Parts: sequence; C-alpha cells; structure tokens
Amino acid sequence: MNLFGVLDISGSALKAERQRAEVVAANLANMETTRTPEGGPYRRKHVVFATQEQFGRVLSDRMGTGVAIRDVVPDSAPAIKRYEPGHPDADSEGYVSYPAINPVEEMVDLMGATRAYGLNASAVTATKQMIQQSLEILK
Amino acid sequence: MTSLDTNTSGLLGHYLDLAAFRHRLIANNVANIDTPGFKAQDIDFGAELKHALTAGGSPEPKVNNVDGLIERPDGNNVSLDRESMLMAQTQLQFRVGVQLLRTEYHRLLLAINEGRQG
Repeated sequence: MNLFGVLDISGSALKAERQRAEVVAANLANMETTRTPEGGPYRRKHVVFATQEQFGRVLSDRMGTGVAIRDVVPDSAPAIKRYEPGHPDADSEGYVSYPAINPVEEMVDLMGATRAYGLNASAVTATKQMIQQSLEILK
Repeated sequence: MTSLDTNTSGLLGHYLDLAAFRHRLIANNVANIDTPGFKAQDIDFGAELKHALTAGGSPEPKVNNVDGLIERPDGNNVSLDRESMLMAQTQLQFRVGVQLLRTEYHRLLLAINEGRQG
C-alpha cells in the first residue's frame, strides 16, 4: 500500500464520523417524536464502529485499512412517560411515551464526532503534503 | 541496482518506505480513535531501518501493539497526543528523506554535467 492508501484510511474515518454526527442529529431532532413506522415513540440510535482489516502478505499480520460503521442499534432504555391526557398518543391512563434522549449526552457525542473528524482531516492534510513532497524528487 | 542508484539513494529509499509505512499505521490509529477494543499499533523505526539495511531487501515491517498507553473503559487505547506528535514527526522525517534524496540526485546530475551547474 502506498501513500494514496493512507488517504483511503483517513477517508473511511471521515465518512464514519460524519455518519455518527448524522445519527446524533437525528436523535436530537426526534426528541419529542411519539409516532414511528415501527410503532411507539422514537428510540435513540447508537453507531457501532468496527475496524476494517485486510490480510497482509503473511496471513498472521493483519493490516488495518480504516474504520467503518458496522451497525446502528437502538437504545434499550425504556421510554419516558409524561402525563398528558389530551395528547392523541396517550395511553388509557393518560400517559404519553416520549423517547429517552438526553440532549447533553447527544451534544457530548456530537463534540466527540466533530473533534475526531477534524483530527482525521488534518491527517489527510499531512498525507497530501507528503505526496506533494515526494513529487519534489522528480524536479 | 542500476548505474544511477547509489548506496545513499538505496538507504534513503528504505528510510522513506519505513516513514510512509509508519504514517499509514498512525493514520489507521487515528481513524480508529472511537472503535471499541482497538489497540494502537506502531513499528520500531530504528530496529526496522537497521534490519532493512543489513538484510538488504525490505520485508514487511513487524507491527506491534504499543505498550504503556492508558486504556479507556471501551478497551481502546489510542492516545490523541501521541498520534498527533508522531504524525508530525513522521512527516518531518519523510521531508528530510526527500530533501536528502534530491541532493543526492543533484550530485549525480553535477557529475553528468561535468561540474557545470543546472
């Protein structure tokens, strides 16, 4: 693998972090959603990151080739019940199930995604500079 | 080895290969900064360079997990500071290698041009 392969690695991380930020945005946007196609209130979503690997020349040494989002899983926390008897989605006792989403938690997650994105973007810059420098040999 | 390859250019080639390889590992560490259970990887630059120079050809460098890093609760031990520092260092090493290689080729060119500049 050459230096261009490094761009793929950092690119995979940029993509994964952006998807993570999208999931956080969806969680925040659906904080008050009580109806979903699956029925019931919206469930908070988590992303699951997994390493991408490729076997090297020897089978025993595996080469990391970046990261990918393997799955987006719903949170298992029970919904929050609020007493709103007038609400169309209220149950027989007058309680409405709202998604268990903590905005502070989501913001922290979003901040983590932003930082990681920036870090990988600077890795791309570093790699680009190295490629450009190797062109200097020809001059 | 062709007639234009010198000892120095061969050495610098190995040096640049290793620097690029290490850069790749660092990029992968940074990419996996949020992957649960991921362990930071690195090579022993000095030992690998010595090995490449004595053994001649350059086999794939040996990749090790980095010792002595603090592991987070999710099993990941990538240190942001360590990786940023190493990335800067590797970038400079690469630059040094490129500059030295250029100088070497200029020296050759000087010999070809019988000492005239340019």
